[in-house]
Amino acid sequence: MDMMILFGVFTLLMLIGTPIAFCLGVASFATVLYLGLPPLVIFQRLNSGMSVFSLLAIPFFIYAGDLMVRGGIAQKIVAFAASLVGHVRGGLGQVNIVTATLFGGISGSAVAEAAAVGGLMIPQMKERGYGADYAVNVTSMAALIALMLPPSHNMIIYSISAGGKISIADLFTAGIVPGLLYAAALMVTAYFVARSRGYPTEAFPGFARVGRFLLISTPGLLLIGIIFGGVRSGVFTATESSCIAVLYALAVTVFVYRQMSWQDFVHATFGAVRTTAMVLLIIGMAAAFSWLMAFLKVPAALIDWMNTISENPIIVLLLINVLMLFLGTFMDMGPTIIICTPIFLPVAMAYGVDPVHFGVIMILNFGIGLNTPPVGAVQFVACAVGKISVWEAMRSIWPFYLAGLIVLGLVTYVPALSLWLPAVFKG
Amino acid sequence: MPISLVKTGRALSRLSTLSLWLAGAGLVAMTAIVAWQVFCRYVLNDSPSWTEPGAVMLMSWFIFLGAAVGVRENYHLGFDVLLYVVPKGGKKWLRMISDIVALAFGIGMIWYGIELVRLTWNTTLPSLQISGGWSYVPLVAGGVLISLFALERIVLRLAGEPIDDLLDEMPPAEVAAELDTANVKA
Amino acid sequence: QTVLRSSDTHPDGYPTVEAVKYFGELVKERTGGRYAVEVYHSAQLGEEKDTIEQVRSGVIELNRVSMAPFNGTVKESIVPALPYLFRSEDHMHKVMDGAIGDQIKKAFEGAGLVVLAYYDAGSRSFYNKQKPITSVADMKGLKFRVIQSDIFVDMVAALGANATPMPYGEVYSAIETGVIDGAENNFPSYDTAKHFEVAKNYSLDEHTILPEVFVMNKAAFDKLTPEDQEIFRQAAKDSVAKQRELWTAKVNESRAKVEAAGAKITTPDKQGFIDAMKPVYEKHVTDPILKKMVEDVRAVQ
Ligand code: NA
Ligand code: NA
Repeated sequence: MDMMILFGVFTLLMLIGTPIAFCLGVASFATVLYLGLPPLVIFQRLNSGMSVFSLLAIPFFIYAGDLMVRGGIAQKIVAFAASLVGHVRGGLGQVNIVTATLFGGISGSAVAEAAAVGGLMIPQMKERGYGADYAVNVTSMAALIALMLPPSHNMIIYSISAGGKISIADLFTAGIVPGLLYAAALMVTAYFVARSRGYPTEAFPGFARVGRFLLISTPGLLLIGIIFGGVRSGVFTATESSCIAVLYALAVTVFVYRQMSWQDFVHATFGAVRTTAMVLLIIGMAAAFSWLMAFLKVPAALIDWMNTISENPIIVLLLINVLMLFLGTFMDMGPTIIICTPIFLPVAMAYGVDPVHFGVIMILNFGIGLNTPPVGAVQFVACAVGKISVWEAMRSIWPFYLAGLIVLGLVTYVPALSLWLPAVFKG
Repeated sequence: MPISLVKTGRALSRLSTLSLWLAGAGLVAMTAIVAWQVFCRYVLNDSPSWTEPGAVMLMSWFIFLGAAVGVRENYHLGFDVLLYVVPKGGKKWLRMISDIVALAFGIGMIWYGIELVRLTWNTTLPSLQISGGWSYVPLVAGGVLISLFALERIVLRLAGEPIDDLLDEMPPAEVAAELDTANVKA
Repeated sequence: QTVLRSSDTHPDGYPTVEAVKYFGELVKERTGGRYAVEVYHSAQLGEEKDTIEQVRSGVIELNRVSMAPFNGTVKESIVPALPYLFRSEDHMHKVMDGAIGDQIKKAFEGAGLVVLAYYDAGSRSFYNKQKPITSVADMKGLKFRVIQSDIFVDMVAALGANATPMPYGEVYSAIETGVIDGAENNFPSYDTAKHFEVAKNYSLDEHTILPEVFVMNKAAFDKLTPEDQEIFRQAAKDSVAKQRELWTAKVNESRAKVEAAGAKITTPDKQGFIDAMKPVYEKHVTDPILKKMVEDVRAVQ
């Protein structure tokens, strides 16, 4: 009964469109009242769930991303990518994916990436005769690379949801190979789709121009080295690196590119405040919700249930993936990670899956969910920028879904893809 | 619209803008504090112990302020599928339930936030050397703002104002801010 | 049957978790099944600071926590946390099982808590990746992560080292990459957090020998009949013997494991460390009650 109140109130409120944060909070509140516990605990969990030092990385990485978009770093990277791969079949589609990969190495937000890269690329692609649906789908699927490559604040959310005992540096490193594999899979898909549709290629501008664009975009791209190198070499912690990213992005856009006006700065700051307040309120509310799940021993019940279905780890992992894809279809990434980690991680670990590996599986899985309606923030942004409806995008997104699912399968069943690189760094 | 409603609306609008500016200042201050922590460790070779709890406390201020503004600006993420399919009259009542839920939770934040402040008032936070009750003051402040902004929406709807038509025209909640950015650059 | 809920941040199987479970079994048996205890281990209900608020406000009835988070609430709890005050674990047991232990128990009632038992948490010592520590001079310039406690920060400064506050979860990679040189803890934590992999020099300076507390919400305790209260107190007392036995076994096991993995354990000359503590005591022991308690502790032989 108590579990039914918790999940029932949550589902009911969610269906009528109440913001997720309040669905989580009020469902927890109702359950605590039913259990006869002091409701104070809900508000304490809300407060302390968001008062975690490691969480500071979320506002900082989001802030840094907003500053980079407003201050011209993203534009320079597009120019460089265009000179590099514009002549490949599917031209601007490939440019889009390479830009997303480079930008993904300095930004952690797929939504911001879709807005940044999409805002620059989609209008150009439409102008050059590419279908709007193709431009939108390439943008939305490529934006997910930001989640896999460091920095990735969703990996930080995962680490915290797992009790803070999983090394963020290891998670960051583990995402690199799967992230690049995913990017490669998208480029192949974009190539074949472009060929079947007869899309143009651009002329190769010559190595001199490639070098010049590389030089111009270098101050921005250096951030890749600063964030990853900084965390790996011990100059600063993962949380501190996010703060350094803000300062660096600000310095480059103000002093090197000189594109950051006071107006831009204020808008970037407000944008970061809005996005992070929304994300972190959900994290706080979810802390109350998962406190109750622990109190009612929900994960143990789920493990028992899984055991009745199968004891084969391959089947269990498949089952977890299907469940997560289903949840990702209806929910946004941050809250889903927070709710699912305490439930699925113990199950996966019971079947011998490394928690770092499981983190990569989960991130890619829920990442795909950002591009599936009815709740798909990245897809919404890409569609809005491309000025088409979600249904128009859905008609031709299937080859890209297929590429994503193939990579997901590889990442799930080949642990070395995730675990090899962290092991190399550990020596 | 009655003149009293117009005046209250203007006051709340100013309060919301003020909260947004305060939250933005909090984000900038947080950046400065963590940067100071790195600087101290490398240059002064001595880490201040107040930076970590200080930055965390600022974060909870800026989240609760920003979250309250989100209630007024309607940018909190929701699953709004049903809102697209139900007829206009029904939609209004679904939104009404959501606003009442937010109001109720905001009141809970005030009530139990005060209880938490009282419970922890006699404790001392290490490093910051202030009362532990301060950890829960942002919760109370956020509760006050969330209740006010939710109440405003409820009152306007009861007064027959067309606020739901305005909400319909907005892009999906969390997308709005990023779209603004994309459109600037496109 | 009434089920009492107890929180612990340690994982299942840890000596404190097992001791509280044992306490629960005794209570169940001796009350004829009227009371049972359910232990939520691994910080399922939150970190210590949070679960302390939960047990004070009656969300849960029982809690096993360390003493340090109470320093800002119950001033008497500062005394056992003072660095280099206890000469040995034996000395600590004598103090906490005696009149001073009772005085601290009494003080906890002011925070709405009944202390049912003091459990062992061993001694905390420094470990680092740079060099073995043989005297206080070796501490100079090293960066250590310490818990959020002013006494610890001041202690590290008094030893000539730097205290770096940091979330526990970031410590491993911070040592590995060199953001900090080391941290401080007991053998079981040094082992289970895998810090021995990256900081191989463990120096047994034993700066604190701080016991942990097993507390009950006072209102819940007062509701028990006097006979039941006696059963609870006795069961807690019986669980202490069990916990100390498990703890010793755990320490030996962890020590053997880290040594086998290549950790170098040294025993520094402690007098230099003790002498360096003067300013720390001058700053933190100003209250006459605390001053008297420190003298009393030193007088226990
Ligand atoms: Na990234
Ligand atoms: Na989705």
